[in-house]
Amino acid sequence: MRREQTLADKISGSALWRSFVRHGYPDTQRNQALIIASNIFLHIHPVKIKRYATKVTYTFCLGGLSFFMFLVLVGTGVLLMFYYIPSSDLAYQSMKDIESSVTFGQLMRNMHRWSAQGMVIAVFLHMCRVFYTGSYKPPREFNWVVGVLLLVVTFLLSFTGYLLPWDQLALWAVTVGTEIGGATPLIGSQVNMILRGDFEIGQSALIRFYTLHVLFLPLVAATLMAVHFWRIRKDGGISGPL
Amino acid sequence: MADIAQQTPGGQVPSNTIDEAKRQRLLELVRGRAMARPTDLAEDEVMVWPSLVVVEAVAATVFLLILVVLSVLVNAPLTDHANPNQTPNPSKAPWYFLNLQELLLHMNAGIAGVVIPSIALLAIAAIPYFDRSPLGVGILGTSAKGRRIIGFTIVFVGLLLAIMIYADEQTGRTQFGVGAWMRNQFDAPEIVYNQLLPLLMVAILIGIFVAIVRGIFRPTRRELIIALFTAFVVSYVVLTVSGTSFRGPGQNLTWPWNLPLVRH
Repeated sequence: MRREQTLADKISGSALWRSFVRHGYPDTQRNQALIIASNIFLHIHPVKIKRYATKVTYTFCLGGLSFFMFLVLVGTGVLLMFYYIPSSDLAYQSMKDIESSVTFGQLMRNMHRWSAQGMVIAVFLHMCRVFYTGSYKPPREFNWVVGVLLLVVTFLLSFTGYLLPWDQLALWAVTVGTEIGGATPLIGSQVNMILRGDFEIGQSALIRFYTLHVLFLPLVAATLMAVHFWRIRKDGGISGPL
Repeated sequence: MADIAQQTPGGQVPSNTIDEAKRQRLLELVRGRAMARPTDLAEDEVMVWPSLVVVEAVAATVFLLILVVLSVLVNAPLTDHANPNQTPNPSKAPWYFLNLQELLLHMNAGIAGVVIPSIALLAIAAIPYFDRSPLGVGILGTSAKGRRIIGFTIVFVGLLLAIMIYADEQTGRTQFGVGAWMRNQFDAPEIVYNQLLPLLMVAILIGIFVAIVRGIFRPTRRELIIALFTAFVVSYVVLTVSGTSFRGPGQNLTWPWNLPLVRH
């Protein structure tokens, strides 16, 4: 017996739809497998997974949330870049403009700021979860090292972004931060010079932090994340009880 | 199989058709799974669509809602225009570095800000190369003993650090007076009383902590590493809280409600 074709059936059966989505509605096991395997955004997942790996009280979604916050930061960050000017003369005024005259500018800035803080916390807690469940043990030892690198990159991303508003909070927080770097034994003054590009924090430091923040460090983070996620699959999925 | 087929109903096999040494018997037939059926689920498996993607979608949506509500209610701080000639008191690094800033009140900035965190990060990265036994994977805290060790470490290290911060403050941040004594009695150089001495103190404290955990709990290697990692996390948290909430003008210890308004 054939049921009547609905509008949804006609759309999802059309040549245009089928050129775009190559499988039927995912209510059969075959289509549920195809939707994961044939979609570039979903194929980060395996088709099937151990039942314990879907338990929220095991992962607390911390790794996923860290990644999601990274995506929110990229999205809001690109929008902020349309208005922000990385010049020591104009940066502060452009921040004021974002807050007062750009539509949703204040909201975008707030979301960027709070996700950045949230990402530092989430990444740290994710490391704790992975540690306390013993998930770093072989064969996952290299992915643990990649994770430690991602923690460092997260710190650096947050720290380089801290200078950009060019207000008192930014200037002095980064002054203290780079002074800590400048205290490195033996090569302290060189480290300080590399970070600041000058003897004090000014235009050179701002453009360095800006370039690191919007281009270099996000690329490093994205690359390391790709390795991190790939290795989860290659090391047999997320850990679980033996 | 051929042997079985040739057996007569009485179990007798014609002796000219079978080599007794090579004779095999069929014990049992087992219904198996075909190997190459990617969607065939084992009992402890679920399909990622919908079982996992639903969890992810809900988590992402809930988080995004919380973030948007927070961002509507609380504005990111924007203080006055940067002014290199006007140093705020206290000047503080971003909160996640305030643990280092707290530490460098008590010793040389290079040791506190670079050497100790570098060693800590390297040690953390090296954990899986020391603890290779698969025991306890997937179980929070590994075992009941592991969880007791976590509880003990939180209380012990937390209290110890709070007392140490207070004691060093009372002795004018001179390594509990030992640094000042070395400087006054022996004219010791900075590298001795402000670099080597604090490093030695940290190393001795870690050694004492390990000895206590060993004495009380008789831990496995994994459980000892749990104690050390927990000690790191507790130190990170206690030093951060001290640096953010208890350091006022001149980086002197202050109650949080007496702090000048510093927004993060």
